[in-house]
Amino acid sequence: MSQVDAKRRACSVDTESERTTLTDTLVYLAYAVAALGAAGIYVGLPKDSRPDRRGLFYILLAVAAGVFCLVMHDILGESANHVAFVILSLFALGGAIRMITHPKPVYSAVYFIIVILSTSAMLIMVGAEFLGMVLVAVYAGAILVTYAFVIMLSQQSTMHSERFRTAFDYDRASREPAWSVIAGFVLSATIAGIIVNREWPAYNAARAAALSEHNTLGLGTLLMTDMAVSVELAAILLLVAMIGAIAIARKRIPHDDAFVGGKPLGEAGRNAAPY
Amino acid sequence: MLVGALIFGIGVIGFIARRNMIVMFLSTEIMFQGVLINLVAMGLLHGNLKGQAMGLFVLVIAAVEAGLGLAIVVMMYRRRGNLDAESWRSMRG
Repeated sequence: MSQVDAKRRACSVDTESERTTLTDTLVYLAYAVAALGAAGIYVGLPKDSRPDRRGLFYILLAVAAGVFCLVMHDILGESANHVAFVILSLFALGGAIRMITHPKPVYSAVYFIIVILSTSAMLIMVGAEFLGMVLVAVYAGAILVTYAFVIMLSQQSTMHSERFRTAFDYDRASREPAWSVIAGFVLSATIAGIIVNREWPAYNAARAAALSEHNTLGLGTLLMTDMAVSVELAAILLLVAMIGAIAIARKRIPHDDAFVGGKPLGEAGRNAAPY
Repeated sequence: MLVGALIFGIGVIGFIARRNMIVMFLSTEIMFQGVLINLVAMGLLHGNLKGQAMGLFVLVIAAVEAGLGLAIVVMMYRRRGNLDAESWRSMRG
């Protein structure tokens, strides 16, 4: 997005009023596009009563994506880097939307990988190569494997079936789709409005190039000098989380039906024997 | 940065709307992605590497959250036999 701001500022430095009107129309256009996308998400979220409205979902999303492309093209102009950025961000947004609307968690995880890959490609494109690589390694390599393990541990019956036929009830029907879409839309509109209205320092290509030249070296130096305490704290946090996760997961928790007439809820975990 | 904001919003929608606990945690990871993009972009605009360093810490937090959250999810699944967040309604005050 940084290039966008720089370009827009470069386009319209001559008159202040022109800049503000341009920004205003941009803001409203962005709101309209986001509202369209929000309607598409609302249609696409799995619902119990009206099972199949995928056509409408895809149409709305396609229209939103097309308008988004046009707006981006209007702002950006012609440079190929920007086009790649637009395509990558569309991939990320589409993957994220499909992730939260897919009824099966396994496919959600796969779409999440798409989001991660396009995000890391964007990061590498702007010169943050270390962070991009770490993103792929940590997210796609470690966290997603953990998710895949948990998904496989916890549901076997939905694997070989039609899409909706034997999906669990709580995957088929989402909870409060309208309110959640409204909440998310208002939140992201607020953040986007703040971002657009704020005066950011102008994008300096030379400085950015200098940053990305020795990106990993600079990042390591910064982490080991200015932020050494934070690094240690992060290490301690990871250690504590590991201990906590093992302590939580190693107890032999019996199923709730075993306690029908018995002890209160909190007692069950406390008295459970470890594996 | 607008992309980051939009991804964050989608994550919020997913977190509130979906009832499967695994998908809820995946939605929080989506929110982390949005924050990460924004951090890197703002660091780039300000011309220093602190945004990327903060992004690294966001990554750490995401890993911690995934580990702990998934441990809790596994425990809850063993106990109830499903992953429905609504089946833990009795935890409401």
